[in-house]
Amino acid sequence: MLSDSILSELRAAVPGGLITAASELQTYECDGLTNFRTMPGAVALPRSAEQVQSVVRICARHGIPFVGRGSGTGLSGGALPAEDSVVISFPRMNRILSLDIPNQRVVVEPGVINLHVTDAVAPYGYFYAPDPSSQSVCTIGGNVAENSGGAHCLKYGFTTTHVLGMEVVLPGGELVHFGAAVPDAPGYDLAGVFVGSEGTLGVATRLTLRIVKRPETVQVLLAAFDSIRAAGQTVSDIIAEGMLPAALEIMDRLSAKAAEAAVHANYPVCEALLLVELDGPAAEVAAQIAKTTALCGKNGAWEVRRAQTAEERALVWKGRKAAFAAVGRISPNYIVQDGVIPRTALPDVLEEITRMADAVNLRIANVFHAGDGNLHPLVLYDKAVPGQEEIALDLSYRILHVCVDRGGSITGEHGVGREKQEAMGYMFAEPDLATMQRVRVAFDPRNICNPDKVFPRTKLCGEKTGPYTPHPLEEKGVAEFF
Amino acid sequence: MSGATSRFEELAGVVGVDIVSERDSRLITLPRNTEEVAAVLRYADANGLGVQVVGAGTKRGWAGAVRGEVTLEMRGLAGVCEHSWQDLTATLRAGTTWAEMQRVLAEHRQMVALDPLWADRATVGGVIATNDSGALRLRYGSLRDLVIGMTIVLADGTIARSGGKVVKNVAGYDLHKLMIGAFGTLAVVTEVTFRLHGIPRSTRVWSFEAAHAGACGEVLMKVLDSQLSVQAMQLRASAAGFALDVEIASINELIWEQWNLLNSYVGGAGVSPDDVFGARQRLFAGDGVVVKVTMLPSAIARFSAEVARMRGEAVTQASGIMIARVADASAVQRLRDLAAAEDVGSVTVLRGADGLGVLPSAGDAAVVMREIKRRFDAKGILNPGVAVGG
Repeated sequence: MLSDSILSELRAAVPGGLITAASELQTYECDGLTNFRTMPGAVALPRSAEQVQSVVRICARHGIPFVGRGSGTGLSGGALPAEDSVVISFPRMNRILSLDIPNQRVVVEPGVINLHVTDAVAPYGYFYAPDPSSQSVCTIGGNVAENSGGAHCLKYGFTTTHVLGMEVVLPGGELVHFGAAVPDAPGYDLAGVFVGSEGTLGVATRLTLRIVKRPETVQVLLAAFDSIRAAGQTVSDIIAEGMLPAALEIMDRLSAKAAEAAVHANYPVCEALLLVELDGPAAEVAAQIAKTTALCGKNGAWEVRRAQTAEERALVWKGRKAAFAAVGRISPNYIVQDGVIPRTALPDVLEEITRMADAVNLRIANVFHAGDGNLHPLVLYDKAVPGQEEIALDLSYRILHVCVDRGGSITGEHGVGREKQEAMGYMFAEPDLATMQRVRVAFDPRNICNPDKVFPRTKLCGEKTGPYTPHPLEEKGVAEFF
Repeated sequence: MSGATSRFEELAGVVGVDIVSERDSRLITLPRNTEEVAAVLRYADANGLGVQVVGAGTKRGWAGAVRGEVTLEMRGLAGVCEHSWQDLTATLRAGTTWAEMQRVLAEHRQMVALDPLWADRATVGGVIATNDSGALRLRYGSLRDLVIGMTIVLADGTIARSGGKVVKNVAGYDLHKLMIGAFGTLAVVTEVTFRLHGIPRSTRVWSFEAAHAGACGEVLMKVLDSQLSVQAMQLRASAAGFALDVEIASINELIWEQWNLLNSYVGGAGVSPDDVFGARQRLFAGDGVVVKVTMLPSAIARFSAEVARMRGEAVTQASGIMIARVADASAVQRLRDLAAAEDVGSVTVLRGADGLGVLPSAGDAAVVMREIKRRFDAKGILNPGVAVGG
């Protein structure tokens, strides 16, 4: 419990913007990773950078942990509060402050919804490129913390490519500026380090974003294959041809079936469904469509279909983006994993994952950003069957080991947060993590800014790090997806 | 026996006599791998010796004078470790020259999509340390967008890796981004993994000359707002006049369609000059002060006109980075005043009247930068004399 005197200090810092009632605090006890829950001591809803500074200064003075929070859609527990901490939430800092269309810059507050940036610049023929599946509800501040991707980051890059500068309240309360609206701001690239630091280095209060000209033409192809291997080979062939599609996605039979049932996207029934989005000047896209169609045929696609209208394209994407949630229709419970492998390892790794699942009698639905090797295996299980959840969790984490062993990563876009702290010890050696810690303590010597995230917990306790071990089962459940 | 001689013997004893030599009472080291770099740094750190890290030396002096009793020559760490061409990634040792790297990658029609200065000699590590970039940045981004993993050695000899060999990866802090533009003051980069791009099948440069900077600036802004398949664009300025160079990269039929569209922007016919994107590098050949000025695209014409008025010469990438050669310090001040009036952007002297550059202050962020420097290099042994961020 935060003391009354601290609460009154906080109340004065954010007039009319402090939540302390237990019933209201409950909203903030978790993010999209709902199996981890901790009640914060208070939630501050600042209206300005000055108010954020005041709140952070109070926390710094009293050694109270704090965590910034957007819409709470994160999938790794990045916004999970520490016990008796202060959550700084941004619904009242949701203004788009300026548009500079000729220079392709937009300045926003952190509480602005991702999609609202695109809405604001669409009349001028522009869009904001990073498009996580949650883009209609997630905030730019949260995207910056997680370095969010999305289906189109294959061509357009991640949040880090599109955030040029930021105003940040440091964990000590100082207001500083990283990056700039122009390239190559003087000094170390702190903007580059801050984006994707999962809220552990400070709280952003203002962001300068880059917007992108909307392509002249967008085309979507659907291709049906008899095997994941054939679809994966097609992806490699497309890339080897020198093409850079806006998106390259694969859904296996199980996930495509679930998505079809959910949104009636009219997907062909097949073992592997490849979705290719090509954009750019019309003549260029037409040439690429022809090439892609030929490559699909060469690899045995028995149906290649082009979405004919904008509505059809939207429906194809709706099915893809709904795939996670739709899996709930075919399984009582499921775990979403987020691992990355080199693209060429795709067919082998998927076969290995299938073998691993078969060995423990579980099913896995696969949805993935095939273009960049980002897998989202959905481990299906039934909580009601004693012991099955434990087996599912174990399988899900062993999949991460396979990714790392293949030269990949434990997370492509969901972040480490609380969920994958221990897996960091599998991917990185002790000196790597210790060097990252040097950066963290340079920003946050008191260890109050979203503490106990990203880094393995064992290390923080002074114990030796080692191969990853799964979390205790009783704490685990199923994440919800947006 | 002088102090330096005993140090030579000491260091040779630690890292092996074949990678250490002595020249003008300086210790010259030529490590061949990451572990040898670590051994040299451990020795220097333990003895409080300053270490000057050197690639090909093409940009020496950009960040001022570097002190140091030990020279760490990186050219011994050369070569491609791995080119996973089907994954569009490659890992290289930091002492590899940029041109050699591109030659190897081109065997599979691939490249690191960045066009730095003096590519024939500049090393991968040096390009990273100085965060150099050329006109290709417009389409492909800067090193921050192209480097996906790194091996670094800290001053105390700690070997650390960050990122990895996959493009999409959000595990841990991006230490490699911290190294880009750090002028070797935080750690020594020994290996780098890049994401690659395919070399465009066909490209063509369209150039347009004008007596006024505004005419070029107007077309530049129009191209930025267009659907054209442009991969590079720059505005050249001199007392003799102005030119805009636009490089189209697309399929053959489209190149001519877009060429004609560009002609329609100016109501005339563009030309296709040779090696026009080498103009930036040629600025360094003459006398005078060379500066880097950053600005918004809409300010490019204004800055270009001012440089020309002062009888200087400039090449400005459409992304907003100008390299200008001007006569003296008063011209530099004039550009600083102009940047201040724009309220955004900075002026960096790369080569002053004394041949040395000066890095600008990072303002309120400098306090964090100093703290990071302290945590990474407590004794300040890496490139002493260079203050990144002020």
